[in-house]
Amino acid sequence: MIKNYFKIAFRQLKKNKGYSFLNILGLSLGMACAMLILLWVNDEVQYDRFHKDYSRLYQVLENQAYDGKTYTFAALPGKFGPAIKQELPEIKYSARADWGSRVLFTLGDKSIYEVGNFTDPDFLKMFSFKLLKGDTATLLTDPTSIIITNKMAEKFFGKEDAMGKTLKVNNDKLYTIKGIMEEPPPSSTLKFSWLASFKIYEGQNQWLTQWGNNGIQTFVELNAGADARAVNKKLHDFISSKDTSAIAKPFLFSMNEWRLRNKFEEGKQAGGRIEFVRLFSIIAILIIIIACINFMNLATARSEQRAREVGVRKVMGAGKGMLIRQFFSESIFMSLSAMLIAALIVWLVLPSFNTLVEKKLSFDPGNPVISGGLLLMALFCGVLAGSYPSFYLSSFNPVTVFKGLRIGKNSVIVYVRKGLVITQFIISIVLIISTIIIYRQIQYVKERQLGYNKDNVLFTPLYGKMRGHYPAIYNELMATNVVENVAASNNQVLSIGSSSGDFSWEGKIPNSQLLVSMEWVSPQYVPAMGMKLASGRNFYDDITSDSSSIIVNETFAGIIGKKDPVGQIITRGNGRKLTIAGVVKDFIYNDMYRKPDPLILFCDTSNVNELAIRLKANRDISKAVSKIETVIKSNNPAYPFEYKFLDDEFNDLFKSESLIGKLSRVFAFLTILISCLGLFGLAAYTAERRTKEIGIRKVLGATVPNVITLLSKDFIRLVVIASVIAFPLAWWMMNKFLQDFAYRIAIQWWVFAVAGLLAVAIALFTVSFQAIRAAVMNPVKSLRTE
Amino acid sequence: MIKITNLEKVYRTDEVETVALNKLTLEVKEGEFVAVMGPSGCGKSTLLNIVGLLDDPDSGSFLFNGIEVAKFNERKRAELRKRNIGFVFQSFNLIDELTVFENVELPLIYTGVKSGERKKRVEEVLDKMQIMHRRNHYPQQLSGGQQQRVAVARAVVNRPKLILADEPTGNLDSHNGNEVMQLLTDLNEQGTTIVMVTHSEHDSRYSHRIIRMLDGQTVLENIMV
Repeated sequence: MIKNYFKIAFRQLKKNKGYSFLNILGLSLGMACAMLILLWVNDEVQYDRFHKDYSRLYQVLENQAYDGKTYTFAALPGKFGPAIKQELPEIKYSARADWGSRVLFTLGDKSIYEVGNFTDPDFLKMFSFKLLKGDTATLLTDPTSIIITNKMAEKFFGKEDAMGKTLKVNNDKLYTIKGIMEEPPPSSTLKFSWLASFKIYEGQNQWLTQWGNNGIQTFVELNAGADARAVNKKLHDFISSKDTSAIAKPFLFSMNEWRLRNKFEEGKQAGGRIEFVRLFSIIAILIIIIACINFMNLATARSEQRAREVGVRKVMGAGKGMLIRQFFSESIFMSLSAMLIAALIVWLVLPSFNTLVEKKLSFDPGNPVISGGLLLMALFCGVLAGSYPSFYLSSFNPVTVFKGLRIGKNSVIVYVRKGLVITQFIISIVLIISTIIIYRQIQYVKERQLGYNKDNVLFTPLYGKMRGHYPAIYNELMATNVVENVAASNNQVLSIGSSSGDFSWEGKIPNSQLLVSMEWVSPQYVPAMGMKLASGRNFYDDITSDSSSIIVNETFAGIIGKKDPVGQIITRGNGRKLTIAGVVKDFIYNDMYRKPDPLILFCDTSNVNELAIRLKANRDISKAVSKIETVIKSNNPAYPFEYKFLDDEFNDLFKSESLIGKLSRVFAFLTILISCLGLFGLAAYTAERRTKEIGIRKVLGATVPNVITLLSKDFIRLVVIASVIAFPLAWWMMNKFLQDFAYRIAIQWWVFAVAGLLAVAIALFTVSFQAIRAAVMNPVKSLRTE
Repeated sequence: MIKITNLEKVYRTDEVETVALNKLTLEVKEGEFVAVMGPSGCGKSTLLNIVGLLDDPDSGSFLFNGIEVAKFNERKRAELRKRNIGFVFQSFNLIDELTVFENVELPLIYTGVKSGERKKRVEEVLDKMQIMHRRNHYPQQLSGGQQQRVAVARAVVNRPKLILADEPTGNLDSHNGNEVMQLLTDLNEQGTTIVMVTHSEHDSRYSHRIIRMLDGQTVLENIMV
């Protein structure tokens, strides 16, 4: 029986080539699209799952409350990790780690920067990174040895065994390689090229001994059966029990959620990438539904042709159930064929898709998860697409079909078909509107007035002896004649990392806490970055004369609330008094969508890490860069010269937004394409059905435009109805989407008008092809065929 | 075999009510060959649909082999139909996507006959109808006469007790028409009951009895000698 079903399905396909082509193409495109999305989703969901004990692994985060606002940080005191392991029986392992250090490694004349972490020995026991060589028991205990990844080993030693060899670190000490680890997989949140003992880091950072100073990451593994909620209760006041002035409230953040739910608002989890995962999963399902709707519509539109067959089969003894099974087999056969083509499409476009989403997704049908998924998808599509046609076609009464079945204008099936077309266009129009709004939002933020000039600024890290040479480097760079100004700072302007609640001033509400960002800069920072002073003065060129002067931003000045903030005294917790020398106009840092937080600039170059060099405008960039390189190299010959442009870094901040923008454009285009394939087929059948009517109309004097209007009118009406439903839906969705951005565009009416007109135009274009063909047909011929 | 009493069937659309069968009474005995004649719209086809268990009457009684089937639901009618009744249509109603062999095989598939047995029976009947050489052709590749022979083969392959023929020669020339009538006569002689609707006086002469209908009723019966 099944064989018989598939035989008929295959012959049906062959007989109606055009119809089958439209159907299978639409379905394959939809499936290919959904497969790509699901590969991406699967990759996101599988993040960090390679760790054996991932369900018991946590990072410890902490909340700090300031005047009703709660901020969440990953930074913890240096003593925290060892203390909780000792005091809380639930903690099996605990490892501290720095934020990832960029270190220069040298072997002979080969010098390469590599990023890695200083961490505790438990790191190796809790995480399942594969140690290729070395002894877990002794590694990371001794401050003169290091673990490197196989990839890093290859860079320095090629095929040679790196074990026991030494590398010079930051042109200073020699470290012995005592372990070789496999490069962390792409699906790992933690990424490093080397690991070294945390003792080294402790030796360099004395503040790690203070309970009030939050500065490093802490990871823990709980004992099997330990209750995370109970541990959280104990952690809550752990730090304040050691130092009563400390306000950090630690809690566990499960590894399951590192990748997808790492956004915190007011101390509570507030999503993260999971929103993209959800969004794209929904889009995948919508695209599949659109493709299945094509199938349903084309299948039911052809029902007049299939009706006689149904009649004959029923007369021959087929029951309704048998016919339902037959039509389901046909749709499943169709969707299996579509799946094969979809797999081919995925295989072909995966490299480009990987570039687009910056992943290394692989598509291996030999993998049971992938092949199982494909089969499931084909079955799902086959059943979904075949559902309505099966029940509809099998319900035909042989007596009626032999009399000659004509489906009236008002029959239920016609309404269902119209409803399905409307559904497709609702989805398409919503996607068009969303695409436009997302694009405009991203552009809007990118073009936001930053409060400084991001163009023509290059950044280079200050390494080695450069910090001590800063005044000389400054003078030499200024003498190159390609540089307009130079400044040094602790962080790059896009991400100012330090903050403190430890400030007070006259008139401050007692016991109120305000988190203030802090940045340490050279005197030329404000002019070099192109920032403007609102009042007061810039720092003096002579650093020593401004050691207790600060510049604050307008937001902070507003909070202090004095008419003239210049000259006001700000007192730090340790009693040090600082005088406001100037107020800098607000500039945007860290969060490009929010208003800036209050900020203090200190005039202090003892800890600076970044050199910002503003090039003179309209100079040959490569020549300018080479002149700068000469200066830097002469001051720090042992380090390779590396630089980045500020505007590139700025664009990088919008990576995920840009990705969403790009993907939504691709998906919107595909959705419309698939919908149009269906519309095209439907228009063809309508034209075919009305051949006689068109012939009669033409004989009676109808012109070609009359006929085109006649045939297109019905479809255009459907698109208009779809627009009316899609507009409020899209408005609601986009309004919700924009709520996440404090700095956002207003939704404008013209976006809807454009989307509606675009949909009508596309539909008209699709339908008119068939309409024109029917309209120009010779009426004598069309009447004869009836 | 068929005993119909006071059978009524009315077709209704929004505005029009058409009485197709008006208290019709009729009996057909096993082994008979009956021709039903009458002008267009007199209810011949409606009668045939009801007798063929494709349609149900609004009222009246229909005994099929002594069983009252007038109130049977679709599923029960289908069950009874596929085991007892074969159909031959004016427009053949072969399935274009199936070969001659597969078309004839269809009723056997639906009655659940095993594949080996199916092959044997289909070949037997194709042989009898002299279209064995066309077994792998599709209907469009055959002449009208050949198509109707396939249709007859399909109607008899399940060895039904009753064959209903709706103007079986309507689409055929006289030569092919006579051949099909001869086939039906042969079947009748082998014991199959046949009820045939026809406009052709010539064809009606093959039957034992002619029932003439008008406005949903039988008006005259001629016994053929």
